[in-house]
Amino acid sequence: MADAPEPAPRNRTPPLPDEAAVIARAADGDRAAFTRLMEHYQSACYGLAWRLLGDPDRAADATQDAFVHAYTAIRSYRGGVFRSWLLRITANASYDILRRQQRRPAGPLPDPEEGAPELPDASAVDPDAEATRSELYRHLERALRLLPPDQRTAVVLCDIYGMDYNEVASMTDSALGTVKSRIHRGRLRLRVLMADHRELFTS
Amino acid sequence: MLNSTHPDDERLSALASRDDDAVADAGLAAHVEACDRCADVVGELGALRASLAELPDLAPSRPLRLLPPAEEPRPATADRLGSWARRLFAPALTAGAALAMVGLVGTAAPALDGMASGGADQALPEVGAELRADSPQSAPTDGARILVGSDAPAAAGEGGVAEDLATDEDAMGEDGSEAAGQARGLPAERSPWPMVLFTGLALVIGALLLRWILVPRAG
Repeated sequence: MADAPEPAPRNRTPPLPDEAAVIARAADGDRAAFTRLMEHYQSACYGLAWRLLGDPDRAADATQDAFVHAYTAIRSYRGGVFRSWLLRITANASYDILRRQQRRPAGPLPDPEEGAPELPDASAVDPDAEATRSELYRHLERALRLLPPDQRTAVVLCDIYGMDYNEVASMTDSALGTVKSRIHRGRLRLRVLMADHRELFTS
Repeated sequence: MLNSTHPDDERLSALASRDDDAVADAGLAAHVEACDRCADVVGELGALRASLAELPDLAPSRPLRLLPPAEEPRPATADRLGSWARRLFAPALTAGAALAMVGLVGTAAPALDGMASGGADQALPEVGAELRADSPQSAPTDGARILVGSDAPAAAGEGGVAEDLATDEDAMGEDGSEAAGQARGLPAERSPWPMVLFTGLALVIGALLLRWILVPRAG
């Protein structure tokens, strides 16, 4: 997995133009700079939390927990892609909530349509293509929510957010083989769930 | 999933995500090359993976607090003292009450012992007196020796007790007074229990006072 080519992210928040300077100011205690960073990445963090937790309120709580943690940890930030660093913190915050949630009996998320956030409108360069893409995203999000929690977590972290197997294993306190198996089984199940919408897939 | 003709689907998924071990598996690659069904699975899983990687970020359902709340200013000295008093109140009160209880029990125990054994202590001299009176060779100054050496077998049981009494009398001095014992060099033994009792009470009272003075009251 480590050498797998990462698909180019689409519709993902790009880095701030002066990101390194903003991060440095935030690390020096500049609250305005920190706010600017979090404002910029809040959709990325919330999206990850929502996909892991499947609940808007818990996702918002996890995102805010992640921001609090990031505020205290930003002094120890040592470079690299800031978005990935922040997403790892968000994933950990979400997974903490998920673990607490899973101590209670839980299965797949209850209603795939309930609480699903609005997907952003794509720019209408090619309205037909964008409509197709929006439909694909809707079906994918719905199918993801039908996965068992452990498979969903592994697929979300690995295939949507590009974390490697080792990162997922460490984040979920699972063995490497278990993580690989969850990802593969999750993908295969998604393939079955998306069987009626294959024509929408990105070619 | 595994059957005799096709590789396991999880292996195909590994190939779709170009895992090192799957890519290095020449047999797997050769099979996928030759098998339409497996090539389709790998192709679909690859497309699925590419589509997942394109899923967009999502706007939060409600405005998020982007910053943790600013640190509150440090409380004034009086508030800090009040906070300490509040924190120490329960342990100090508990410790004081426990000490007072132990001290009270320790102080009262000898008195209770004395009350319980007082009847027996008073009866013993009478028994001794009776025995002395019964013995034809009795001498008023050394009851124990007379009793032990007595030929009256019925007196043997009480004789032991009387001997103890005689020994106690020796320790107290001939006149039976404690002062005389001290005069002969025995250390004065002071009970620690009253001190424990007073320390406990002082702790309880101190804790109550500190709380009353330092902890601000509502209203």
